[in-house]
Amino acid sequence: MSSGLNARIATIVLVFLVCLLIISPNFISFSKDHFLSKSKLRYGLDIQGGIHLVMGVDVNEALRQNLLRTGEGLVRHAKTEALSATDIKLKTGSTNEMVLTYTKAEEKGAITDFITKYYSNLFITDSEGQTISLQSSDVYTEQTKKEVVDQAIETIRNRIDEFGVSEPSITAQGSDRILMQLPGIDDAARAKELINKTARLEFMLVDNTEVNLPALIQDAEKAGNYKLGQNGLKYSEYIRRLNADLASKLPPKTHILFGKQENVESLEMGRIPYLLRSDTGLGGDSLRNARISTGEFNEPEVNLTFNPEGAQKFADLTGNNIGRQLAIVLDDMVYSAPSLQGRIPDGNARITLGGGRDYNQMFEEAKTISMALRAGALPARLEQLEERTVGPSLGADSISAGLKASYIGAALIFIFMIFYYRTFGLLACFGLCVNILMLLTGLTMIDATLTLPGIAGIALTLGIAVDANVIINERIKEELARGANFQAAVREGYEKAFSAIMDSNITTIATCLVLIYFGSGPVRGFGVTLTVGLITSMFTAIFFTRTIVDTLLYKFKVNKISI
Amino acid sequence: MNRKMKTYNFNFVGNFKVFGGISLVAFLIACAIIVKNGFNYGIDFAGGTEMQVKFSQDTVSAGDLRKLVDEMGFKNSQVQRFGEDTEFLIRFETPEGASESETNAKLASTISIMTEALNTRFQAAGPEVRRVDSVGPQVGSQLKRNSILAGIYSLLIILIYIAMRFDFKYAPGAVICLFHDSVLVLGILSLFGHEVNIQVLAAVLTLIGYSLNDTIVTFDRIRENELGMRDSNTEKIINTSINEVLVRSVVTVLTTALAVGSLYVFAGGAIKDFAFTMLWGLLFGVYSSIYVASPLILLTEKMRFKKA
Repeated sequence: MSSGLNARIATIVLVFLVCLLIISPNFISFSKDHFLSKSKLRYGLDIQGGIHLVMGVDVNEALRQNLLRTGEGLVRHAKTEALSATDIKLKTGSTNEMVLTYTKAEEKGAITDFITKYYSNLFITDSEGQTISLQSSDVYTEQTKKEVVDQAIETIRNRIDEFGVSEPSITAQGSDRILMQLPGIDDAARAKELINKTARLEFMLVDNTEVNLPALIQDAEKAGNYKLGQNGLKYSEYIRRLNADLASKLPPKTHILFGKQENVESLEMGRIPYLLRSDTGLGGDSLRNARISTGEFNEPEVNLTFNPEGAQKFADLTGNNIGRQLAIVLDDMVYSAPSLQGRIPDGNARITLGGGRDYNQMFEEAKTISMALRAGALPARLEQLEERTVGPSLGADSISAGLKASYIGAALIFIFMIFYYRTFGLLACFGLCVNILMLLTGLTMIDATLTLPGIAGIALTLGIAVDANVIINERIKEELARGANFQAAVREGYEKAFSAIMDSNITTIATCLVLIYFGSGPVRGFGVTLTVGLITSMFTAIFFTRTIVDTLLYKFKVNKISI
Repeated sequence: MNRKMKTYNFNFVGNFKVFGGISLVAFLIACAIIVKNGFNYGIDFAGGTEMQVKFSQDTVSAGDLRKLVDEMGFKNSQVQRFGEDTEFLIRFETPEGASESETNAKLASTISIMTEALNTRFQAAGPEVRRVDSVGPQVGSQLKRNSILAGIYSLLIILIYIAMRFDFKYAPGAVICLFHDSVLVLGILSLFGHEVNIQVLAAVLTLIGYSLNDTIVTFDRIRENELGMRDSNTEKIINTSINEVLVRSVVTVLTTALAVGSLYVFAGGAIKDFAFTMLWGLLFGVYSSIYVASPLILLTEKMRFKKA
């Protein structure tokens, strides 16, 4: 009697059911809230059509700008400390070195002390005559680079949202590139235009007239029969239309904008309407910087610095409107609307975040806001490095050809296996079917994107997966030829084949992992499907087929199975 | 059920000089071809622009398209027709600017210039641009570097794994074999002037993992037989092992070839390049694991013996 047969059968049934449960959303749509598994396999750009863009970010220029700003700040600061610093210049061609000039030779020690005391990111590399060479630390440079790229991504994401792409993917690639994948659209020229436009930052007072905004909006939508996202209605058009429709019902010089929700990819964005006054005259050009800082209880907050002119406007605005909410609006979307607590005279403002939440949430929000504020304009010049567009008709053609090839390949393998190994071949075919089921489950679980090379990977998996069965079946044949009885031959066959299957699969998986690590787009998709397929194939070839064979041998008392 | 198990008894190890010689010659020829012909790099590596256009009317010829590309001032144009279809692949170089960023700027505008030109010139034929790929020079050179790194790392990982799981004497054979397979496949690509693109690269890298399969299965048997056949010398053990797994090697390559072959015939497009490379690789892979890899164990062992 083969041990634990019932437990093994139960395991198989369980795995089978779990797989069905996980992949079912791919075939049937359930109501979103009442189903355990919601992941769906996504198709890559080569199948559903879309744009793939790689942009290079000119981080060096941004680094130079940033360093120069720090340097200029340093000179101003030094002057307030009554030091004789006069000028600071970047070394030509350098992104991390600058030279400070001062007039009084005797202040050398004092200036050196001043820099080491206040500017820990700068190192003094040389001092000659009345100049001091400064270099920014590598950590600081790296951090700035990362900030620049993150900020560019955030900006691009905001602008792409406007395009109405359903699942855009905008990610950093290496240290100075951005990869954009925009499925479902093929107007690359417009997408690029949109990315390169400049964003608008505004500060607007929230109007405190009593108006039932949700009701007004609902009426307007009903009357005009439109909705955000419906028939591809974009946010900017929606806003324009809504405000035009409601112009007579709102107080003068006000308009409606919506708050931005956490999920930037959702078109449902902002169901929180704000009634805003449009006459503050304070915009992004008045802002110098926005950074995350910590408040008195160590809670994260956002620190804003205005330029002198902006500082004056801001002081007046805050002084005259204590107790009211000031909305921070970027590209017509309200990011936050903190209450004003007092006049803010010095051009430094803090955005405090509502308490009662955990630190990480608050920190994330502070990061989003400061980034959005800085993202008013792209932080660095973007350069197009790669552009790939696939039209939807080609995608449809290629998937049907790819599937056809896979079906035919599978059918040929099935015919060959059944012809060559009879019943054992048939079992291997069952194994392959289960393997495909598990492979799709695995891909769904890890949120993989199915690309054309991915489909090739699945087809190839079939070819490779059946190898485990071939090894086992050949081994059983060998044992039978040596005169073992059938049960013993099966046992020996499976056991002795195990190490060969393991070793050969592990080395193939190892190279696939290298493919995933080094490969870009298509290569990676291939590597992922093949890796998942090989892992599941070990389960089906070794465990699944053996359990069926054992069931036939011991439960149904079959003496021999054709091989 | 009572089919008799066929057993083979070829003397693979004894004939190693012959097959090793053949392999060595083939390897050298492949290297020579690669050096002489180089590779026909696709735009993934070389940079440039590729457009796939389909016309609803069959009134446009490849010559017309080539003329248009030349007129627009793009160099090295190639136009290829998809069989009897009204579909064409147009490939041309991105004009080089004085600086890298100027080249990139030109790259960005190239596509809209060409799309517009196509749409105006051949409006009557109903053009539809189905796919555009445009790659700048930096991306291509980075891809080349990453590919070479990926190849080296794969070989290294395999070397380490085999040395750990088996014995060090097995490792050189396996790695030499993989190197041999990859170079032969690259030689074939170079010989036929087949385009080397990212899919082909994926195929070559996959082959490094896959063609090892056969080798490992044979090694596994040698490892097992070393315990069971203590009285026999290494040569006999290796020969017996190869013969024992011979059927399996052939059957496996056959099933994989069925899958890859149907991809080659039916899938078309980018997958076709992948399948083409894979098919050759399968052939070389099964050859080398039978005739080259295992006999090399003997060689490594002899060398080690001499040193000791």
